Amino acid sequence: MLDIQVGAEGTIRLVGRFDASQADKAEPIFKSIRMSAVADFTELDYISSAGIAIIVETYKRLLDAGHTFRLVNLNPRIRTVFGYAGLDKVMQID
Amino acid sequence: MAERQFKRDVQSLDTIFDFVADFLAANGIPPSNSFNANLLIEELFTNMVKYSKGSTGDVTIGLSRDGPTLVIRLVDHGVDAFDVAAAREVDLNQPIRERRSGGLGLHFVRRVADRVEYEYKDRTSTITVTKRLEP
Repeated sequence: MLDIQVGAEGTIRLVGRFDASQADKAEPIFKSIRMSAVADFTELDYISSAGIAIIVETYKRLLDAGHTFRLVNLNPRIRTVFGYAGLDKVMQID
Repeated sequence: MAERQFKRDVQSLDTIFDFVADFLAANGIPPSNSFNANLLIEELFTNMVKYSKGSTGDVTIGLSRDGPTLVIRLVDHGVDAFDVAAAREVDLNQPIRERRSGGLGLHFVRRVADRVEYEYKDRTSTITVTKRLEP
């Protein structure tokens, strides 16, 4: 299960597992973000290519609109998966 | 090999992850191995769901332990061939704006698995991946 909590100041708190079964639920929430944002991964345990695709699309969309999108507090395994995709070099990951 | 059949639907993932957790616990394998096992199975399973739309049958997932190695097998009946081991490489040097969102799943499989084998016979795809277990 995945829980997504969007705060008023552009903070997106991700809790649980971001897998393909959660993509349909997550996509409209991420698409509704229209300002610079920070995705907090502190309580995210797992992500697959389906979750990463939504993060990358959001990243590109916000960048094109002149905003920023930062990813923070990734656990080591999730950070490794972003590394496998070469995204650690091209995205803002703290 | 512990085997179970799962409906060809991404919503099966929760029960698949439960199956993996139960197998690891029953075989004394530390739960730290679940992330990579889940990732390998999810990417292969969702690939079958996406690209074998003609088939309505269940997908069989099998798990076994061979000493220090986890063996994962997915069997899909009544489908066209799709050699996951030969899928195209992802260009990791592409700028973010030019990145396509697809193709990453099988790239992850190749990065995480120690070995990926594909067999196609009698319209049945069998994918076997092995992954060395973390202590």
